[in-house]
Amino acid sequence: MAAETRVQNTPASLDIDITTRCNLRCSYCYHFTSASDTDTDLSTEEWLKFFSELKDCAVKEVCLSGGEPLIRKDLKELINGIHDSRMRFSILSNGTLVTEELADFMKGTGRCNSFQVSIDGAGPESHDIFRGEGSFVKAIAGLKVLRKHQIPATVRVTIHKYNYLHLEEISRLLLEDVGLSSFSTNSAGYVGLCRENKDAVQLNVEEYSFAIAKLLELNKKYNGRISAQAGPLASGKDWVKMQQALDEGKEGFPHCGFLGSCNGVFNKMAVRADGVMIPCVQLPHIELGRINKDSLKDVWLNHSELKRLRERKNTSLRDFSFCSACKFIPYCRGGCPALAYTLTGNENNPSPDACYRTFLNAGGKLPAIS
Amino acid sequence: MELNKMYPIANAMVVFREEFDDWAVLFDPDANKTFGMNPVSSFIWKKLDGKHSRQNILDTLKEECEDVPAEASKHLDDFLSELEKRGLVGFERANQEG
Repeated sequence: MAAETRVQNTPASLDIDITTRCNLRCSYCYHFTSASDTDTDLSTEEWLKFFSELKDCAVKEVCLSGGEPLIRKDLKELINGIHDSRMRFSILSNGTLVTEELADFMKGTGRCNSFQVSIDGAGPESHDIFRGEGSFVKAIAGLKVLRKHQIPATVRVTIHKYNYLHLEEISRLLLEDVGLSSFSTNSAGYVGLCRENKDAVQLNVEEYSFAIAKLLELNKKYNGRISAQAGPLASGKDWVKMQQALDEGKEGFPHCGFLGSCNGVFNKMAVRADGVMIPCVQLPHIELGRINKDSLKDVWLNHSELKRLRERKNTSLRDFSFCSACKFIPYCRGGCPALAYTLTGNENNPSPDACYRTFLNAGGKLPAIS
Repeated sequence: MELNKMYPIANAMVVFREEFDDWAVLFDPDANKTFGMNPVSSFIWKKLDGKHSRQNILDTLKEECEDVPAEASKHLDDFLSELEKRGLVGFERANQEG
């Protein structure tokens, strides 16, 4: 049965590529070579004007990413603009440009929800191989500076061919040595630069099976302090539940059997570094309008592309030949629309990347769960 | 405090966010706290501009809303006191009833 589509009057938060520039060029960056890679940064004044519109729209939070947000010389001015517009902020960063002065400034705002640093190894070897020589040492130093200034620092570990065997060491480093309360994981998805480096970066099915088992084991050992919204841990958790439900003959899960994985278009939007509004940083090819020219609220409520994406959740998986005769349909929500787009050319398809049946057919195995 | 002689005014740093129909949330970005608001609470919040007295707000509520209960006066006082306790509203004393 189709679910009612209700939308808030304005988005609660926005993800903003505050710059298209970066001091690194990581081999699996989702930004470079995507439609976000526009070679254009907006001026300070243009962003501040937009933040004022966000204030009028009662937006609660912006997440600044890029590119590398800390590469902008006017970052403090932009954060002050966010503060004056009654919003909080988060930052996604490679961590290599963090300074004592910046951390002190951010602490002083009292508005930083989180500062995420990418750490992909327990040492330089498996981090620097895709992120550049010297980047591990700088990222760890940046992380320590953030923690010293009591910024709510988080870490994202992107799992790839050169670190999946080091998950125990990475967990020990982050949770025991550095002392984080938790960290999150994903894997390099088939977007951006990863598309041209996939063979060097992405796990094959045996490696993915190993990563699932190891992450489930580590997450148990560390009492749930490792999280994931995508990648081996997220897949492992979902697929174990799906297999158990099927084995026990349970009815379908709520909201499953449809393309319902992504709720982003119901509460958030994104903006590219060139000021083009988009549904999500992972769907930069869908251009919705331009900031300071088109009304955010009007785009949010009325744009046909957003309406189309919101209707995904009413599209039955049984309508797709890809899902034909799949016994997991009642437990499946079809995966990320951005990966569906890069892998199949249509965001309104199920994503093969998240498909448990595809994983099994390729020889993938889940660990025995007691 | 004599609420009838006071003019409640919303904390300008608090975000009033109308989400669905007349339902809303108050968001305090400094405390990072969110408070749910039903349609009546939202109606009252919009009057907290320092120009409407507590009595004026109550009268308007009775005029414009249906099925206002007899205890509305106490409910309004409780609501305003709760907002004040949370730092979401202050009170200005004025010479003239608004």
